[in-house]
Amino acid sequence: MNKENKYKIILIEPSEIVAAGIASIIAKQPEFSLVQTLSNTDYYNAANSDIDIIIINPAVIDYNERLDIRASLSSTTAALVALTHSSYEEKVLRQYDECIGIYDNAARIIQKLKSAVEENAQNPKSDLNELSARERDILTAVAKGLTNKEIADEFNISIYTVISHRRNISQKLGINSIPGLTVYAIMNKLIDISDF
Amino acid sequence: MDNKETIYTKRMKVADLLAKDGSLLSILQRLEIKLGFGEATVAEACTRYGISTELFLMICNIYSHKDYMPDVNTLSEKDIKSITAYLHASHKYYTTVSFPSIHNRIHNLVKEIDEVSRRLIDKFYDDYDTEVTNHFRYEEEVVFPYIESLIENGRENGKKYNIAQFEHNHSNINEKLNDLKNIIIKYLNEEYSSPLRFELLGEIYNVENDLSKHSLIENKLLIPLVEKLENSNEQGE
Repeated sequence: MNKENKYKIILIEPSEIVAAGIASIIAKQPEFSLVQTLSNTDYYNAANSDIDIIIINPAVIDYNERLDIRASLSSTTAALVALTHSSYEEKVLRQYDECIGIYDNAARIIQKLKSAVEENAQNPKSDLNELSARERDILTAVAKGLTNKEIADEFNISIYTVISHRRNISQKLGINSIPGLTVYAIMNKLIDISDF
Repeated sequence: MDNKETIYTKRMKVADLLAKDGSLLSILQRLEIKLGFGEATVAEACTRYGISTELFLMICNIYSHKDYMPDVNTLSEKDIKSITAYLHASHKYYTTVSFPSIHNRIHNLVKEIDEVSRRLIDKFYDDYDTEVTNHFRYEEEVVFPYIESLIENGRENGKKYNIAQFEHNHSNINEKLNDLKNIIIKYLNEEYSSPLRFELLGEIYNVENDLSKHSLIENKLLIPLVEKLENSNEQGE
């Protein structure tokens, strides 16, 4: 929250009618302030780093980039709230902290905006592009040649969690194959070349 | 690229196709269409070289338009042979031109870098080279002969095998190349910043792009056509 004690919001919505509706709901709330309304991401300004919430209609994001929405918004660390007119795949919506439908009433919308801010505060996205400590441990194990099952046993987590970590690691590094991950691990001194 | 407007047709000039997408050059080279064709249209050039105009357009459209889906029902058995000949020519191009060129550039680049990175990159590339060579060999020695016998003799000789198995074995040969690209872009120490590094990456981008089109031709043209042939033979029995 900024010094005026208001959460700053940017709204990206192509429909003027819908945008005006959201704006009027937010205007009645003392804790929120709508600082900018855009019809698409072309004029989105990455310099707006003190924004707390971005409300965005997923349809304005190019289809190929919908699964990496933060990247389309210059890797913003603001809370992301989807504003949907129609239904989207679960994997698209999973990237948002909250999801508002156009039939939600004002109270529900405000409640969702608050929960998005809380959700985002609990899971800061600032290290989005760096590997977490856990991911580095898993990567080291992968590079040493351990199977998913062995990694799951060693870290006492489910295989599903191992797979999900591996997917995140590959997404962050842009490296998918095990030999490629091994090269990365050695170059970054996670494992020694003698293990190779 | 906006696809609907620019889908290629037989009345377009070959030179105009190239003006829209320069990567189509490699197709001409593999089909042994000589340059210097002046104002020839696609139909004229194909007739002159004895290539099916339909097939030529499909290959070019697959190359340039990522959402394009060819209608294989308009193709014939004879076209299957042209497709395998095309794929064979492109294997030959990769193994005699593209990969040696990448290998050469890697060899020159790693001369400049530290022992550990050198060993890693050398080994990584050699393994990739082996994997992709095996992949091509499998197609040349198992898949293409199977298709040929299917055309000549019907299903009989090929009972043990079907093209769905190929589809199943069709691993993504681009994964490691993409990894190598990202390692060289992002993780090789920035002190190695000779022009060689940029040139190597440019080469990898080209080959990666071409290999992905190569896979699309297999997936969108070859496999559906052979499946159709397998089914028609089964019904005939």
